[in-house]
Amino acid sequence: MKIIDCRNMACPLPVVSVKRALAESPGEALQVLLDEGAPQENVARFAVNRGFSVAESVEEDGVTLMITGTAVPICAGEVSTVGPTVMLVTSDCLGTGPEELGRLLMKNFIITLLDLDHLPDRLLLVNSGVLLATEGSEVLEALEQLGSRGVDILSCGICLDYFHRRNKLVAGAVTNMLTIAESLLTAARVVRP
Amino acid sequence: MVSEGDYVAIFNSIHRVMKAERLLKDRRLPMLLIPAPRALSADCGLAIRYAAVDRQAVEEALTGGGLAPEHVYVKKGKEFVKAEISDR
Repeated sequence: MKIIDCRNMACPLPVVSVKRALAESPGEALQVLLDEGAPQENVARFAVNRGFSVAESVEEDGVTLMITGTAVPICAGEVSTVGPTVMLVTSDCLGTGPEELGRLLMKNFIITLLDLDHLPDRLLLVNSGVLLATEGSEVLEALEQLGSRGVDILSCGICLDYFHRRNKLVAGAVTNMLTIAESLLTAARVVRP
Repeated sequence: MVSEGDYVAIFNSIHRVMKAERLLKDRRLPMLLIPAPRALSADCGLAIRYAAVDRQAVEEALTGGGLAPEHVYVKKGKEFVKAEISDR
């Protein structure tokens, strides 16, 4: 068993060190000493997301994580990140240009997501982006399929009210600015089409 | 996005596919502009999907409006089978 001490390390060094240690000795159990709080949570989340088993025990001067098992293979091209991927859609049009083309491109983009293996964890719809999730939208079928594949679809409540569409929301749920801001700031990646 | 028995019309021009969508919307015919399925080649990457029950009305409207699709396919199992365009 390998032991590494990641106490007093600044973020993201604990995760980086653990990642390196796991890669160096595949299959071998790894004991990690960490500070409580964010480092502990980030490392645990990283290991669990990669398919390892994690056992935590609190010590006098920090915590110990026992990481065992083997990693789920990462496909070529997959971006290695810790934490959720959030997609922020701020308009019902994709890009700047003729509105008709922008709407068509956004529709095409949303439906194309269904062909991808790696979906965002959360889809935030803001401003006229909320119109995509309301009655009459041509991507409702696609959004519902994304939802059934685990994408958390959230529409901005203020925006729904502005467009008088709150009671016309079909796909996903209503959210507030606090959740939107928090999602963006805690995301590993924010993708903005 | 394409279920068993659905039809998919391919147009090899973005302007034609957009005109076709507008024409069908004006006629209130149920259809959806979708990304062309990977198995089918479409220069503009777009296609129009419609159900078998609407097939005749959709294809007649397109042909009548001078927007006959380049090709029409029907989804059968995992395959897309080429179909004749209805133009009566």
